Amino acid sequence: MTTANSVMGQTDRVRTEEEKLLRYRVGQRIVHAVLATSFLMLLFTGLMILWQPLTLWARDGTSGVIHRIGAVLFLLVPILYLIVDRRGARELLVESFTYDRDDIEWFKHAGRYFIGRAVGMPPQGRLNAGQKLHHAGVVLMSATVVFSGILMWFAKGNLGAQGLALAASIHDISMLALTVLLVGHLYFTFVYKALSAMTTGYVPKEDALIEHPKWVEEIEHQQTPGN
Amino acid sequence: MGKVQLQISRRTFLKSALAGGAGLTLAAGQLQPALAAPGAETTTPWYFRGQIKRTYSVCDMCPWRCGIIAHSVDGRVFKIDGNPADPKSRGMLCARGQGGVSFMYDPDRLRSPMVRTGERGEGKFQEVTWEEALDQTAEKLLAIKEQYGPESVAVFGHTSGEFWFADYFAQAWGTPNAAKPSSSLCTSPREEASNLTFGFPVGGHEPIDWEGLRCLTLIGSHIGEDSRNTVMQDFANAWARGAKVIVVDPRFSSVAAKADYWLPIKPGTDTALLLAWINVLITEKRYDADYIAQWAQGFEELAAHVAEMTPEWAAAITELDAGLIRTTARVMADNLPQSVIMPGRHVTWYGNDTQRMRAAYIINALLGAYGREGGIYFNKSPYIEAYPHPPFAVAGSAGGCSAEPGAESAELPLGPSGKARADGARTKFLRGATAMQELIEPMITGEPYPIKALIVYGTNLLNTVPNPERTIEALKKLDLVVVIDVLPMEHVAWADVVLPEATILERFDDLWTVSHKTPYIALRDQAVEPYADAKPAWWMARELGMRVGLEKYFKWETVEEFVETRLKTIGYSIEKLREEGGVIVQKGKPYLADFKSNSPFPTKSGKIELYSEELALAGQDPLPIYTPTTEPPQGYFRLLYGRHPVHTFAKTQNTPLLHQLNPENDLWLNAGVAASMGIKDGDKVYLENQDGVRSGPIKVKATQRIRPDAVFMSHGFGRNAPQLSLANGRGASDAALISRYALDPISGGAGMRVNFVRIVKEA
Amino acid sequence: MAINAFLLDISRCIGCEACAAACMTGNELPAGTQYIHLTEQTRGEFPTLAGSFKNHRCYHCADAACVKVCPTGALYKEDGMTRLNREVCIGCAYCTDACPFEVPQMVNGRSSKCDACASVTKAGGEPWCVRTCPSDALRYGDRQEILAEAHRRVEAVKARYPKARVYGESEAGGLGVIMVLPDDPEVLDLPANPDVPLLVNTWQKVVQPAALGLTALSVAVTGVAAVIARRNHMQELKQLHAQQAKAAPEERQE
Repeated sequence: MTTANSVMGQTDRVRTEEEKLLRYRVGQRIVHAVLATSFLMLLFTGLMILWQPLTLWARDGTSGVIHRIGAVLFLLVPILYLIVDRRGARELLVESFTYDRDDIEWFKHAGRYFIGRAVGMPPQGRLNAGQKLHHAGVVLMSATVVFSGILMWFAKGNLGAQGLALAASIHDISMLALTVLLVGHLYFTFVYKALSAMTTGYVPKEDALIEHPKWVEEIEHQQTPGN
Repeated sequence: MGKVQLQISRRTFLKSALAGGAGLTLAAGQLQPALAAPGAETTTPWYFRGQIKRTYSVCDMCPWRCGIIAHSVDGRVFKIDGNPADPKSRGMLCARGQGGVSFMYDPDRLRSPMVRTGERGEGKFQEVTWEEALDQTAEKLLAIKEQYGPESVAVFGHTSGEFWFADYFAQAWGTPNAAKPSSSLCTSPREEASNLTFGFPVGGHEPIDWEGLRCLTLIGSHIGEDSRNTVMQDFANAWARGAKVIVVDPRFSSVAAKADYWLPIKPGTDTALLLAWINVLITEKRYDADYIAQWAQGFEELAAHVAEMTPEWAAAITELDAGLIRTTARVMADNLPQSVIMPGRHVTWYGNDTQRMRAAYIINALLGAYGREGGIYFNKSPYIEAYPHPPFAVAGSAGGCSAEPGAESAELPLGPSGKARADGARTKFLRGATAMQELIEPMITGEPYPIKALIVYGTNLLNTVPNPERTIEALKKLDLVVVIDVLPMEHVAWADVVLPEATILERFDDLWTVSHKTPYIALRDQAVEPYADAKPAWWMARELGMRVGLEKYFKWETVEEFVETRLKTIGYSIEKLREEGGVIVQKGKPYLADFKSNSPFPTKSGKIELYSEELALAGQDPLPIYTPTTEPPQGYFRLLYGRHPVHTFAKTQNTPLLHQLNPENDLWLNAGVAASMGIKDGDKVYLENQDGVRSGPIKVKATQRIRPDAVFMSHGFGRNAPQLSLANGRGASDAALISRYALDPISGGAGMRVNFVRIVKEA
Repeated sequence: MAINAFLLDISRCIGCEACAAACMTGNELPAGTQYIHLTEQTRGEFPTLAGSFKNHRCYHCADAACVKVCPTGALYKEDGMTRLNREVCIGCAYCTDACPFEVPQMVNGRSSKCDACASVTKAGGEPWCVRTCPSDALRYGDRQEILAEAHRRVEAVKARYPKARVYGESEAGGLGVIMVLPDDPEVLDLPANPDVPLLVNTWQKVVQPAALGLTALSVAVTGVAAVIARRNHMQELKQLHAQQAKAAPEERQE
């Protein structure tokens, strides 16, 4: 419901009366929190041995312990997801690797989306094409970073020079991808004010209509009695 | 819509994320830092911790006695290096020498005088003062002397303080029963072979004139494993210069790997090989005829003697190729007179060892090596007077490097109550130093007369004398057992009185004098204070001497006074010696030319006695003969023992640094034999000898480097001394398995390679 | 600055371990630690045998793999030697894999290896191992002089060992321990080619810098773009609301 003064100066009131859609269930939000926390632990402690000026912080070995704790948590994320929200895990995997014509169109206009113009992008589902690509990247690069990380954790000393270089390169490149994806992820969250999705779980319907109209349609279709 | 949707507001999310992050960080902070700060490893190196004191002394980690410089800071020794001025070390040291610091700071060291409280052998002791320990010892010694005579006290001694007990005290006290393991358990056959052939002993080190040497032949002599510093230096240089090397050894030793010829001889047959070599040298006229004509006698007899001892004859006995025997003889001859068979060191092998050494020395004579440059030089004693002590109660016959020079006398010296030494000299064996292993019988049987007391100085009794079970029997029967040592070795548990000794760097000691190409005198100065309540041997000998009526021998109050008196006789002082680098080197008389027209061979004939009248008169073979030794029974291997480069005898297995380099011995077993027995490299096995004695477990080293009929292990392991915290129980004990020995009838040496073992896979 | 080198003459070495012991005592190494390991080597079958000793210690490569992969700079080159500052080491153990000779050991969580007696040589002394070697198998000094001596010794020993050769003249950029070998390196358990592999160079010189650089670039780009993009999005939302308000005035309530 809108009032006469709805457009200018009373955005708060407009917001409180806005309709909200549930985007991420509590299980998903918990999993995301664990993923985010563990990734940051891994990123910062990893940077401490990648960039020489930071290595002095790694001298007492604590960063190594934190990295390993973070690694275990990071490893547990998919398992946790399957436990607390199997449906969400399945959706994530299926959707991230399924692209339709709208997605291809979206990619063609990704540039304007990047600089903040979401209005008028080809209609997207729950995940827009960029998000799908992001998730696919995270899934794949997580697998490679974990695999190379396990090699370095448990086979250190038995890898040989080339084995170490290969494992570490895969680890570095995977982390580069994941970090760039993270930077992008934070960027788009900021630009499109999407944080509430992971804090409250809800997003304003208005935003959803702009960004994920096909998803809104799906939800409303499900919510209609008789379906 | 049954599910309750938990609302997580942004604030809540942020708060919990922060809280979680903070919690994790705190938790991480509570964790012990995964890496301790580098700490000890980056502490200031010892050479920057203070003023470095440099002390001259002589290494005591093995009997070679290299001159050393000890570096200490604030009363603690940190590093030992060779003394560049010393003719033996020349500034370098072997692994044992480098382990000297670790040895002296071994936490298992004996700390205090002790007297026995439980039964002898239980190892129960009570710490007492030096006064109490010495008073008790003196009282008991005097009582035994009263009842049985001073000859009833036996003194065993070894290491660099042996002089004070095995020589000085023993002779002052009046016992001829002083013995050193370095004689009858090591060198006696070579000393007597040399005495008989040349009129002088080999002495300490082997007097090879390395710088000009062109061919070296080793019978055994595992250079590099027996770790004799100077020999390794000289060998490396000679070898690098292209000297030919011939190694005769049932085992492919470290030096065999550097040889031009390796003869994997059947154990016990070396004399046959040597005789065949003599045969080739003579029949092919490859010996130094002029030299023999001028300097030797008995050549005709020798030539006749070896006429049938062809390489073919020897090949059948030695399991060597006859062609190889011939070739190696020719190589030796091609390089004469700079061609030498190493005079050997530990040569008590089969009980016929004097004959074997005679054969080797005869070859050296045929090669014209004695007194020639690049051959074998003549040792000369350094000139310095002994301390002017009153005449001793009995002349010593312990032998060894530190004894005051004395010739073998026709009559055995008698003690104050008219008894000669009890080891069977002249009856069981012909000549030579006191035979330690033969003094055990009198302790048990009382024949030829009872020995009632034993003082053991620096001798690892139960790891040294063959048939240790018999030694234990003797220990049980004695009235008094006094043990002077640095570490709680096995025999310490059998003492009545234990006296802890200060190690070489913790004491000033008598000069070290060495007969040599360049005879020399070395200073043994004190670097640091003794550990705990340990004392030097000279002090103990003196304190004991004063308590048993030997004051006249101990008029000097300190050993410095003793040494100062000696140095004065050659115009030196301790201070001057310190200033001049710790070593006085004198001129020697190494070559024939130095003797002008005199004979360098103090034999009866003044010549090298290829044929020995003395042996003939004594009913022994005057020319070397080959006598076979016992063969291993079916299923048994001959037990061969030797050294590992980082260890000395049974002395160093507990030294932390040396223990780390070699914590246990392994059993060298021919790889083919191992495979046929289903034994893999690294498997642990037990050994059982012909008398049912067992030792082990020991790791098998399945190797191509040894003949199928023998096994080899390094000596000094398989310890049964719980207070040696590192060495106890590691590896197997060759000493325990040497329950038999063969007595050499000429020198009194105990041949110990006459034991056989079978391999037992389970305990 | 002098470039020094060791001479290690394997043909002379008789495996006496004096060097290992001198190093342990001179450097006060903690119990269980050794920088030098001697291993007996046997070739052939009884009785036709050959033997030697592997004298394993840091060979101080000029192009040292350990220095290359070390993230902290704890491992570094100085005077031709590869030094280690344990205070800076973080225990990542890359060096243990990178070294073609398997030299660095982890001790108490940090890398541990020979530093060529840095403080001893700087004070004018000889490395402990060199000083004590009775076989004159070890020397230390100016690299050119050591190389010359190595070649001299190889010539001299060729009569005994026809395959004798110098090892370390150019391997791994030139080793700081120049060896006289009596046989081919592989026969003596040494790698024929200990050069740093391409993969390692790529990891250190391409992958790592790219990872850091591209990450920084992405942060910079998005940092700048964020302001612009956010403004753009707010604008388009405003426009959208304006359109919607115009399009449905009947939905307003007074």
